[in-house]
Amino acid sequence: MLRAAIKGVFANKVRLTLTALAIVIGVAFVAASFVFTDSISARFDALLETTATGVDAYVRPAPFDTGNSNDPFQSTEYGSIPEDTLTVVAAAPGVRLAEGGVVGFAQLVDKGGKAIGGQGPPTLGYSWSTEPSLSPVTIKDGNGRGPEVAGEVVIDANSARMNDLRVGDTITVLTIGAPEQFTIVGIASFGDSDSLAGATLAMFELGEAQRLFDLEGRYSAISVAAESGITPEELAANITSTIDGDIEVVTAEQSNAEQTEAISEGLGFLNIALLAFAAVAVFVGAFIISNTFRIIVAQRTRELALLRAIGATGKQVTWMVIVEALIIGLVASAVGIGVGVLLALGLAAAMNAFGFNMPDGPLTVLPRTVIVGMAVGLIVTIVSALLPARKAARVPPIAAMNEEAARPKRRSLHTRAIAGSITLGAGVAALFLGLFASIGGGLWFVGIGALVFFVGVSIIAPLAADPIAAVLGWPLPRMFGVAGQLAQDNTRRKPRRTASTASALMIGVALVVFVAVFGASIKTSISESVTDTFPGDFSAQSTNFAVGVSPTFADEVRALPEIGDVSTVKIGTAAVEGEGTSVVAVDPETIDTVTNFDVSPDAYERLAETDGVLVAESLMQDNGWSVGDSVAIVFPQDSGGEFEIAGTIASANFGNYVITDTAYAVGFSDPTDGWVFANRADGVALADARAAIDGVAADYPNVKVQNKSEIIADAESQIDQMLVLFTGLLFLAIIIAVLGITNTLALSIIERTREIGLLRAVGMVRSQVRRMIRWEAVVIALFGAVMGVGVGLFLGWAVVRALADEGLGSFSIPAGQVSVLVLLAAFAGLIAAIYPSWKASRLNVLEAIAYE
Amino acid sequence: MSTNLPYLHLVHRIAHEGNIMLETIPATQLAARIRSGTKVYGEGDAEIRALDGISADFRRGEFTAIMGPSGSGKSTLLHTLAGLDELTDGSVYIGETELGTLKDKDLTILRREQVGFIFQAFNLIPTLNAEENILLPLSIAGDKPDREWYERVVEAVGLSDRLDHRPSELSGGQQQRVAAARALVSKPEIVFADEPSGNLDSVASGELLDFMRTAVREFDQTIVMVTHDPIAASYANRIVFLADGDVVAEMVDPTPESILDEMKHMGS
Repeated sequence: MLRAAIKGVFANKVRLTLTALAIVIGVAFVAASFVFTDSISARFDALLETTATGVDAYVRPAPFDTGNSNDPFQSTEYGSIPEDTLTVVAAAPGVRLAEGGVVGFAQLVDKGGKAIGGQGPPTLGYSWSTEPSLSPVTIKDGNGRGPEVAGEVVIDANSARMNDLRVGDTITVLTIGAPEQFTIVGIASFGDSDSLAGATLAMFELGEAQRLFDLEGRYSAISVAAESGITPEELAANITSTIDGDIEVVTAEQSNAEQTEAISEGLGFLNIALLAFAAVAVFVGAFIISNTFRIIVAQRTRELALLRAIGATGKQVTWMVIVEALIIGLVASAVGIGVGVLLALGLAAAMNAFGFNMPDGPLTVLPRTVIVGMAVGLIVTIVSALLPARKAARVPPIAAMNEEAARPKRRSLHTRAIAGSITLGAGVAALFLGLFASIGGGLWFVGIGALVFFVGVSIIAPLAADPIAAVLGWPLPRMFGVAGQLAQDNTRRKPRRTASTASALMIGVALVVFVAVFGASIKTSISESVTDTFPGDFSAQSTNFAVGVSPTFADEVRALPEIGDVSTVKIGTAAVEGEGTSVVAVDPETIDTVTNFDVSPDAYERLAETDGVLVAESLMQDNGWSVGDSVAIVFPQDSGGEFEIAGTIASANFGNYVITDTAYAVGFSDPTDGWVFANRADGVALADARAAIDGVAADYPNVKVQNKSEIIADAESQIDQMLVLFTGLLFLAIIIAVLGITNTLALSIIERTREIGLLRAVGMVRSQVRRMIRWEAVVIALFGAVMGVGVGLFLGWAVVRALADEGLGSFSIPAGQVSVLVLLAAFAGLIAAIYPSWKASRLNVLEAIAYE
Repeated sequence: MSTNLPYLHLVHRIAHEGNIMLETIPATQLAARIRSGTKVYGEGDAEIRALDGISADFRRGEFTAIMGPSGSGKSTLLHTLAGLDELTDGSVYIGETELGTLKDKDLTILRREQVGFIFQAFNLIPTLNAEENILLPLSIAGDKPDREWYERVVEAVGLSDRLDHRPSELSGGQQQRVAAARALVSKPEIVFADEPSGNLDSVASGELLDFMRTAVREFDQTIVMVTHDPIAASYANRIVFLADGDVVAEMVDPTPESILDEMKHMGS
């Protein structure tokens, strides 16, 4: 039987190749995801090793503690320790050398006045180490020297090369203070590497750096080298026992591991995205595999019956089909892993192209990657082939002799309708549970619910295939005569086949529609909320992801005669009632002049009086709080305390907790503004006010000034970029589904050889045969697209409704995009039909009509 | 088997019964003819000469049966005459058109307009009902049927009450009569039938052949039928006997008995 299975694979190689392609793509994504992240980790490990310094341990501020040990929560703030800690550390037993340094935000400005970077890798500033043995950064040979006095800067070699900056050039550097000019005195690298993951670096003399980062008298960390014979662990223990305060000591090894982990975590979103797309590809692939095996089993009924007639048991026949699946799964998974490695290479290249400079190095393919990839491919193939394999066992031996007996008995539509409805119901239930009930693992419920929902739709689909194909194909006989009519008839004669082919396409289309609906709803919500809450003339924001607008900007704007009211919003992360969350800070006296947030009566007055907090209405309800209650807030730089709830705020877009600038200044070290809002002064023309504020912004290359419609357009274009990325990857699922259509048609044509031969004999020309197949494909594709649009709209609606509390107020259907998608699906049908229709038109008429 | 002797016998018999020699029929009265047709399949040792320099004429309004043992080339003759297969050498004409010069598209259109087919099985498109199947060649061409002619054919074939049935709802005999009606509906120059009654019982077979004979007599249709059944062949006006890819004998106004005699003779 094994030999029969192997022969079966070879006899069907073309169709099985198409089937295997779906597995190849799915497995490739799984493998790429692992290979990529493993390689990045390994390369950073290697890089950090080559840049290893004489540092054995670091002394640094203890991480921000939210007061809840189950919720370790990283502050984005740079902490600091007092300068005199250095004396204590240097005196600790076993310490050979100790040096304090600071780190902060610094962004370089290119010769054209544009800020360098900021949309991806960090833009960092450091103090220059005067102990070469303690620094991973060294001046490149012949590229100057380290900074010695104020006004001097050393920059990283990658930034220098990319922006044509040389020793002796004057450069503007943006910090949390006002922009300042520096002279480049040196260009530095990390060991052999010009860049550390694309981060831009500006390094200053220590005192200068402390001034720029607002850390006078403080250090961000102290680097320590041990005397010989002392291990890093011993060193760390020694220092720990001599110092006190919120300070911790870690070995260099620990610190490196943390850095590598942080980088990996930073790339974690890519990993998740790749695995999600792998899941989609594999899921769509499962439909195609199952469909292919079903058709192949049906076509081989006589052969299977013959095997039964000469004594094979039903079980043996089942096993034969499963072994075929196994062989395909094995080959496809192996190819998939190979493709995955290439994909990982491509990804690394793409990351470099976007400015995230990855260190060079070999690709890391761990045994785990191969095992998981093979397992995914094999399991999906075999599970998909199970039902067809069992069906094969039910072929009676008599079918070998008797055409009638070979025809499978139709199972009742009732059973299908009931099974489908139950599955569909279970999917919807899981989906809603995940979306609307506040239970743990909500995202899992949503994912699995959506999956089950898709399966449910695909079970029901055959019931709808005939009527829907009748409607979709209605114009065909009118447009293309008998070729059109036959195309329509062919889509209706095997509803199950049509439906399951279309179902594969449905998944891809549904996901694209879902993403489109989600994006459109976000856009509408943003547009509405900006319109509602921002009545002012101008808003300024930082273009740098990591940092806000320097407070000096707001000061300069305030001083302009053309500008009237100015108010700012700062954003920070704090622990409220032991849970990490973002808080915003405003000036209660002025915020109402430039914004229009829906707050409870006298909320700002009460906020100013009590120096308390405003809380989002939804949180008030969830926690059973009322105005006048107190909540505990812990800040990164201050232990905080109890804050009285001074009022409520309706719109969650703004923030869940609003505190005063005064409280913020104590609790946070980052003085930058998230937003600066400004109105023109009375009687000043809008254009004049704009010119004035733009003039100030010209000195701050990382600040963008926008009016209301520009804010909306900007937000929309950012969302569009995300949509394009997601849609592009989801199109992969559609491509797999198109392969499925090609496969099904190619198989159907083999079944209809005689019929096509007859049509050709009685006078159908080749172009008509092609047209017949082509329009059959289009109807199948449209059927899938119609189901997909329906499912996608439903999913989009459910998710948008579930996120209403999070500020996603509007459900919006991007009708244009959806229509284009449906047209694209029809076009995909045309593409899918190219090969099968060509094949059909080239059928040898004589062979087709020859008797057995 | 010697081919010389039966051929002499044929000449003898044609002369004796006073029939006109094939070659003397003017071409304008011919629905189809083949001249020195040779068809070779395979190469080297595997070479098979299905047709070996055969020449034959098929007059308008005549019902010709082609008989011969298995491998005599009768199906190949039918396929090459019908433009479904190409000759290795020689020429085939439908009416005045030489098929060898035609491209696939023209050949297909010629089949659609000038040739009708009745195969042994799988004659009908399963998704189309009887009427749609009958009108298929016209629908493919995008032509409107001649309603009067269509109704005459349908009536003659005895299917008036079955027109909206799918093939799966028709008996084997009914299916073959639908195929026969389809072959006639486009008023082709010639109808080729390949063992049309091969899968039918004697009653259904008789009905089908009766209809074919009626089509020749009353509608002046030309039919060429391949069969190995002497009873089926006896419905024809004329029988052409093949052996080894060439004509070995001919018979006019046959009866089952005379056919059996001839077959015995050929076998000897």
